[in-house]
Amino acid sequence: MNVHPNVPNLVALRSAVPFERSGVQPEDSSINIAAGGTLGKSAAQPPLLELRGIAKQFPGVRALDGVTFEVRAGEVHMLLGENGAGKSTLMKVMSGVYKADEGAFFHQGEQVRIDSPKDAQALGIAVIYQEFSLVPYLDIAQNIFIGREFAGRFPGTVDNARAHQEAKKVLGLLGFEQDTHTPVHKLGVAQQQMVEIAKALSQNARILVMDEPTAPLSERETENLFRVIRMLQAEGVAIVYISHRMSEVFALGDRITVLRDGRMVGATRPADATPADLVRMMVGRDVDLTYPRRFCETPGVPGLVLRNVSSPSGIRDVNIEVRAGEIVGLAGLVGSGRSEVARAAFGIDPVSSGEVEVFGKRRRGEPDQSVKLGMALIPESRKQEGLAVTRSVGDNLMLSGLAKMFPGGWFRPGVARNFGRKMVADLRIATPTLGRRTAFLSGGNQQKIVIGKWLATGARLFIFDEPTRGIDVGAKSEIFALIAKLVEEGAAVLLISSELPEIVHVCDRAYVMREGRVAGHLTREQLSEENLLSLGMHDA
Amino acid sequence: MHNVQALPQTRPWTATVGRIPGVAYMMVVIVVLFSSLNRQFLDGANLINIGSQGSILLLLALPMTFVILTEGIDVSAGAVAAASSVALGCVMQAGGHTWLGIVAAIGVGTLFGLFNGTLIAWLRLPPFVVTLGTMGMAQGLALIFSNGQSITDIGTVIPALYGGKVLGIPAPLIFAIVAYALNHLLLYRSRFGIYARAIGGNPEALRFAGVSAKAWLISIYAFAGAMFGIGAILLTARMSTAHPTASLGMEFDAIAAVVVGGTSFEKGNGGLPGTLLGVLTIGMLRNGLNLVGVPSSVQVSCVGVLVLLALLIEGWKTK
Repeated sequence: MNVHPNVPNLVALRSAVPFERSGVQPEDSSINIAAGGTLGKSAAQPPLLELRGIAKQFPGVRALDGVTFEVRAGEVHMLLGENGAGKSTLMKVMSGVYKADEGAFFHQGEQVRIDSPKDAQALGIAVIYQEFSLVPYLDIAQNIFIGREFAGRFPGTVDNARAHQEAKKVLGLLGFEQDTHTPVHKLGVAQQQMVEIAKALSQNARILVMDEPTAPLSERETENLFRVIRMLQAEGVAIVYISHRMSEVFALGDRITVLRDGRMVGATRPADATPADLVRMMVGRDVDLTYPRRFCETPGVPGLVLRNVSSPSGIRDVNIEVRAGEIVGLAGLVGSGRSEVARAAFGIDPVSSGEVEVFGKRRRGEPDQSVKLGMALIPESRKQEGLAVTRSVGDNLMLSGLAKMFPGGWFRPGVARNFGRKMVADLRIATPTLGRRTAFLSGGNQQKIVIGKWLATGARLFIFDEPTRGIDVGAKSEIFALIAKLVEEGAAVLLISSELPEIVHVCDRAYVMREGRVAGHLTREQLSEENLLSLGMHDA
Repeated sequence: MHNVQALPQTRPWTATVGRIPGVAYMMVVIVVLFSSLNRQFLDGANLINIGSQGSILLLLALPMTFVILTEGIDVSAGAVAAASSVALGCVMQAGGHTWLGIVAAIGVGTLFGLFNGTLIAWLRLPPFVVTLGTMGMAQGLALIFSNGQSITDIGTVIPALYGGKVLGIPAPLIFAIVAYALNHLLLYRSRFGIYARAIGGNPEALRFAGVSAKAWLISIYAFAGAMFGIGAILLTARMSTAHPTASLGMEFDAIAAVVVGGTSFEKGNGGLPGTLLGVLTIGMLRNGLNLVGVPSSVQVSCVGVLVLLALLIEGWKTK
């Protein structure tokens, strides 16, 4: 059989490796793997990939410092760490995108070099990045075999028929039914991820590195991904899994390695650790997961009132009230209409019936009117809607308050500088200078800038839409401390969050959305994850 | 294990050819309009005329599609064609062999393309600015080497490339068919085309696959330059003269044809069938306007309106 060197012998793989984990592994399997992925059996063999003393220096930062890490066939090795801990650098070193300054790589006990993506590929290492490396207007087959096209009859031409045939086989292995002629821009995120995984498998990947793969997925899609991961694991693929979600760490992981400031600070097994242990390792100090604050005893005047608000974007008869000094939660499943409430309240989406009142005044028209009434929206997608990421910290801080800061219309550098410095100090934004591009800052610091830009407008009503998304544990506490400080100074806050513990521990009370309507209201005493969930579920 | 939902199946041929762009509607309107205004419009002779004249534009618009798929642009097309034409003229005037002249024309085009590609890929300069600079340089060189005069003394072989017939088919149509077939093969069935789309769509995909996007980007601009050279040969043949300014501004029609054909400037979205239709649409529009006696200055405005209409139609369709 004429087998392309880049394509695993899929027929052999399929017949030799049963999909169920309980299946018996033939000893003479064409693939050298430890059966079932149990650590006990494979421990005798050298690890599939071992990194010793890896160091990587960037100008001004030691991104990795003597990191030692190994992954064995058939295991899921969880890699944890705050943003900036060095996880992505380590991942890029493994995949050959970055070249390590120091350290050694061992593949099945033998020393190897990883100087380029080609080297990593040859060792069977494949990485699935958060930002997919797919070309939108090429089809599935072309994407799977990009850079490794099957040669056609004439030099330079490619054999499309062959590519589709092989692509179909790989998709079949994943149980992913999709016409391989579909251009990937027509696929959803979960489907694109499957194409990425197929691409990795077609490279005969035996070591799969995944960077927060469930971040963009729905619950059902996540379940499917986990099933695929367990199936690959059973086939002896080694998986390095980067995650921010504790539940995944314990659901999937065989082993856990924690990075902090470019160093390895802990290696453990899920059975030997609690979430609190891991958080302590990640941040290096005890962060209270319950975000303590003084709850509001005597709410002030109504800051935001929605009366029977409906909108073309899908919310119906929404009644919500937020008073000064309160943090009011807005919970519900993704797609239940939470963000739509925020957008309608702020004036981004039109309101078809009902009214919105801000501190006693009727809000009409566009968002600029909302800002004049003292309203601020901290949107869900920080980088697209909250910041101008190519601009500096100083520029972004002024973005919303320009009219207030420079009433004459002329820019005054001194005023701008003083304001910027004050904000950086007040909000404890970690940036070397005011001129730093915000794209280079961590998620937590970016979020502080988005909050800061509203402080310049004198806002007293804040709507936070998923303020802690993609932000590490330490920075989350800081963001909540900031929000708590805002309400103590008399602001009213509406907090949208998918993280139930955040709603339970931070909010004075909460509304729960379901299918565009307010499904219920929970007081401080009633607030619990169980109550939030049962109100928000479709079949409750 | 079939939890990931499948999309409705698309048929393979539509995936390759792409959805029918808004240009189809415009073509219908133009045909109906001009055939009712002037009975000559749909004559066999006039249709062949449209095809022959369109062949030169096609030779520029095909490689322009590749360039635009990379999220680039080449505004030097017309000026490079002028330089190539003058190179051809100089060789022929000096009594050089026809093949030498052809090699000179294609060589000059390729060199300018290499120059463009190198600056864009290696120095990461914006394509518009780089090719604008090249446009000026090529224009200047064409004027210097021709002393600003047409070169009429180019022999009889070159003019036959436009005026001749093979098996009763006009030569420029054969050029157009062969060029289209080769470019189609390049875009849809070769690495060259796949990587052109990838450079525009997601260069990271190439980087992670260990493919040098730079080298391919340079070769795409060089290829475009070579095609401009071939276009120049055909233009010279048509006029029986190498003229230093005749092809100036042709980049406008070439880019317009690509845009009218539905290729977008983003993410490597578009294709050659659209460009072919775009070339025909612009060719028919100009031809029809000629027939009803509209001066060429007004024709340029009409092509501009056509481009804006194409964008509007695409906008409506995606809405």
